[in-house]
Amino acid sequence: MSASASSGTISILIAALGGEGGGVLMNWIVDCAIAAGMPVQSTSVPGVAQRTGSTSYYIEIGEKGGIAPVFALVPMAGRVDVVIASELAEAGRMLERGFVSPNRTTLITGTARVLTTAEKMQMADGRFPSERILEAGAALAKRFLPLDFEGITRQAGTVVSAPMFGALAGAGVFPWSREACEAMLVNGRGAKASLAGFAAAYAAVGGEAKAAPLVAPPPDVRTLGRDRCRDYMDQAYADLFEARIARLSRAAGDLADPLRAHALEEATRRLALWMTYEDIPRVADLKTRPERFTRIAREAEMREGQLLKVADLFKPGVEELAAMLPVRWGEWLMTHHRKGGQVPFLGKGMHLGSTTIVGHLALKFLARMGRLRRRSLRFRDEQAAIEQWLGAMEKALPAAPAYAGALAELPRLLKGYGETQARGLANYKAIFSTLVTPILACDVEDADAPALRKAIGAALADPDGVALSATLAPPSAQPMVAE
Amino acid sequence: MERSFAAEIELLKLGEGEVFHGEGILAVTKALLQSGVSYVGGYQGAPVSHLLDVMVQAKDDMAALGVHVEACTNEASAAAMLGASIMYPVRGAVTWKSIVGTNVAADALSNLASPGVKGGALIIVGEDYGEGASVIQERTHAYALKSTLWLMDPRPNLPTIVRCVEKAFELSEASNTPVIMELRIRACHVQGSFVAKNNVAPAISTRNRLAEPAPHNYETLAHPPVTYGQEKKKYDQRMPAARKFILEAGLNERFDGRHGDVGIIVQGGITNSLIRAMQEIGLADAEGRPDIPMLVLNVVNPLVPEEITGFAAGKRAIIVMEEGQPEYLEHEIGSILRRADLNTRLHGKDMLPMAGEYTSEVMLAGLAKFLKAEVPALSNLGDGGYAEEIADLRARAVALLGGHAPPRPPTFCTGCPERPFFSALKLATKETGMVHVSADIGCHAFGTFAPFSFGNSILGYGMSLASSAGVTSFSGRRPIAIMGDGGFWHNGLLSGVTSRLLNKSDGVLVVMKNGYTSATGTQDLVSSPAAGAKLAAAEKSATASERTIENTLAGIGVKWLKTVHTYRVSEMKAALQDAITSPEKGLKVIVAEGECQLERQRRIRPLRAAALEKGERVVRTRYGVDDETCTGDHSCIRLSGCPTLTVKTSTDPLKTDPVAHVTNGCVGCGLCGENAHAATLCPSFYRAEIISNPGPFERLMGRLRGWFTGIKQVAA
Repeated sequence: MSASASSGTISILIAALGGEGGGVLMNWIVDCAIAAGMPVQSTSVPGVAQRTGSTSYYIEIGEKGGIAPVFALVPMAGRVDVVIASELAEAGRMLERGFVSPNRTTLITGTARVLTTAEKMQMADGRFPSERILEAGAALAKRFLPLDFEGITRQAGTVVSAPMFGALAGAGVFPWSREACEAMLVNGRGAKASLAGFAAAYAAVGGEAKAAPLVAPPPDVRTLGRDRCRDYMDQAYADLFEARIARLSRAAGDLADPLRAHALEEATRRLALWMTYEDIPRVADLKTRPERFTRIAREAEMREGQLLKVADLFKPGVEELAAMLPVRWGEWLMTHHRKGGQVPFLGKGMHLGSTTIVGHLALKFLARMGRLRRRSLRFRDEQAAIEQWLGAMEKALPAAPAYAGALAELPRLLKGYGETQARGLANYKAIFSTLVTPILACDVEDADAPALRKAIGAALADPDGVALSATLAPPSAQPMVAE
Repeated sequence: MERSFAAEIELLKLGEGEVFHGEGILAVTKALLQSGVSYVGGYQGAPVSHLLDVMVQAKDDMAALGVHVEACTNEASAAAMLGASIMYPVRGAVTWKSIVGTNVAADALSNLASPGVKGGALIIVGEDYGEGASVIQERTHAYALKSTLWLMDPRPNLPTIVRCVEKAFELSEASNTPVIMELRIRACHVQGSFVAKNNVAPAISTRNRLAEPAPHNYETLAHPPVTYGQEKKKYDQRMPAARKFILEAGLNERFDGRHGDVGIIVQGGITNSLIRAMQEIGLADAEGRPDIPMLVLNVVNPLVPEEITGFAAGKRAIIVMEEGQPEYLEHEIGSILRRADLNTRLHGKDMLPMAGEYTSEVMLAGLAKFLKAEVPALSNLGDGGYAEEIADLRARAVALLGGHAPPRPPTFCTGCPERPFFSALKLATKETGMVHVSADIGCHAFGTFAPFSFGNSILGYGMSLASSAGVTSFSGRRPIAIMGDGGFWHNGLLSGVTSRLLNKSDGVLVVMKNGYTSATGTQDLVSSPAAGAKLAAAEKSATASERTIENTLAGIGVKWLKTVHTYRVSEMKAALQDAITSPEKGLKVIVAEGECQLERQRRIRPLRAAALEKGERVVRTRYGVDDETCTGDHSCIRLSGCPTLTVKTSTDPLKTDPVAHVTNGCVGCGLCGENAHAATLCPSFYRAEIISNPGPFERLMGRLRGWFTGIKQVAA
């Protein structure tokens, strides 16, 4: 094992996102080294204006009065003394590239995630598990210092570069004093906030990591579901939920089998969400609750003396209106619509001022329409589909618990509004008729579970149904386009 | 451009003996002034943009010195500018990003090289090759060889770079040949120091004009019949003169080492990384003195045969460390050795990868192979050790991570006006069916990444329309070409628009009119909004009233022309559908207007700060998603990809999929609202206006509303 740089040389690799001030941090460090009379070189690979991709900055600092070292322009895997990442996945990237070595590297990383587009755009949950990065950091770094940069930055009202600087100083990686670092900040823009962020990170990196505050475990899914149904409609509806769960419990029988227990829990969750499907009255109800506006004000970081105006963006379609109307009216409206009939106000985007008196009243009125829900078109359709699914669950639970687990997850496809909802429903129906109905007709077996799971995964893989069609049916040839 | 380079400009004014500390590309700029350049030009592009940006902003200081600065409209225009040095004894320098810029400049370079130059001519190219580069293919080296231009590749430390710039002018004058200096991306961004000299005011300049033009001399024209003579001169006169200068000035560096029976020849630009690799296995000391002799080529074209043979003579073997493909240096060194009948074995690409960046790690692996084959005493030195350690480290990391960290390509900024265009295109093609999309260079190329993934080809800057000419002829559905206003003026107007009009052909062009060449740092264009227009626009888009592009298009005969503000997503969607499906033949142009948000935000921030300071009413707009009604399908994200529109774990314990969430980085651009309406997404989006310093009536209304609705208007 030999040192890559001259002995006494410190190498620091900064991993950040474009626009986070990584270059500013690099300049502070370089200026500190110059002020301390140390030879220093730094370099970076940012584009000019690309603001949001991964960037990195690399610094080498020589000894004061020592020999003139040859500085490298590129960090060498396994030979970096300090790696600091503003964000957790960037730390993961540095780990993956071999820059963090158990023999020499101090790894300081922000624990919060800035999700990538690829993670965010998934139809279900595409997030890379943070705990795996934290585990890898702990296993591979000589010193691993995870830190809540996001929280510190927000509290200090600064940008992340100042807390990162403070963390580096607090970790004791600089051959100069804390005061020398702070001297770089006092004359800059937003000096007070920068210094506060610096100090908070300096203290945090040295001290013990604060234990996460104890959160009471959420009530069990069944209680949540019952309460949700009561909030959605009334006690009778909550009782219906309970009765349905009782049917499933009877079918599941012995819950010592973890597969059955899981299938039942998942079915309970999906049933609760399904029975409280989002229609116009439900949305209007949720949008007019006072706690909603408190949350908006908190998220927007409002201060005393400021005023909040909220406008909700609605574009109700004919389907949505028909869904909340009594069955016969709803059916008439849909027929009228299919014949090309016009309906006033529908299909137009509107900004409804929910903090205005008129807007608020309008929403309250729509929320009250929920009382007609039991007679509505959509209620009839949804309850029929729920009953069909429940029947299938009752058959599957005793015979094939693994298959039941997959079937319990199937209603996960039913979400969203408008087109999204229509797409989810179509996928649900396609899978149900291909992989549920025929199987229920004969004996259900756990061997059928993987195919069902695969189909659910495929339905959530892309919004155009490419993966699902490929799963459910062999692909057909692409026709040429005729002129 | 709103960004200020005041601090950098101060560095350019340093005098004799003062220490310059700053970026590599700024050191080059300072060295140009120390060399007495009369004129400087170029076209922006990473990593050399700053050279020109700083000079353009320092125009007053440059004028005082007599130096002319020209922001050229493309690289051909910059290269042609060097024509001034053909018949006048004036030094000039131009800059651009290679290889792309050199390709555009090729015609002028060729015709500059033929007559040769009297005054020193220097071309500084950003050799954007390797990690973080946007153009990772091809080498500038090929141009130096084919046009007989000299090529410098200095060791990446500031004193060497500065000395090389100064010597480059002398070399150019001593051999009547333009010189190219290639600087890799990290060398341009390297921060280091050197001791400055005084700037030199050029003898012939904007302050000391020539009374008379140069007399007519056919020899200075790249035109037959004199081109035949010029071709002869390149190798008969200029080459020997250059080689003599290189030797006498000691431009290349030779280091001796204990193991004199072998040696390394290396490009200057990758020398430091090589030394770091040698240090790793104990073949170089802390100060970088190698144990194996090294010849560092700060000039990679021409090579000086005596220098090569002098180094190789008596050695059993040498290895050439040469980044990129093909191995021009290695081939030439091979010829030199063969002609001199030297039996020194030659290694290089047989032990090193053909393509890709030569990092310390890559060179270490190559060096290990060389030692094993050629230096028995050291054959175990490169064994395993490092390579195994790192391979093991990476394998463990990937195993612990359970896969690769999610990729994070750059994307549109928060509030970028080009994002809504791609939302509209996604919605429009859902109706029309997918169309062939010819993409181009510029910020809009981020539309090729998720969540949009539009673009079937990128053929060059401003080339999209030209590249769709063939495709349009056989496509059942009308293809579209997208280019920025930067690309439009760089090339697109001529190679795309006029060609389409000449042929009376069909097609759709979208010009993203954001007002600047934004991807390279918002440099001005001929159609950039004027200062007055920006002042008048205040927080609004300043490009709306700027009609240079529309007037130009109408002037040359485009009949179907629509300008649509990009944030009107439904309107843009309709315009696109119309353009794609319209039975009308001919070129259809949509100007997608929306000012670059970087420039707009730089203008807005001080305006708002000042208003708040004065206690005036200021409205901050942001969008949000209601956690309770979001069902976690993320359709909204697939239509936007905005950095501030993300997902978070739902506060509802029943929901397992994360819900959409808008972070406080939201600038309230309005796209979420537009998309929610244009795509009929979902009712979860809301627009919040936070009003600072509300007026008395507004406060009264606020209280009334609060009383009536039970909504607290102010956070606790």
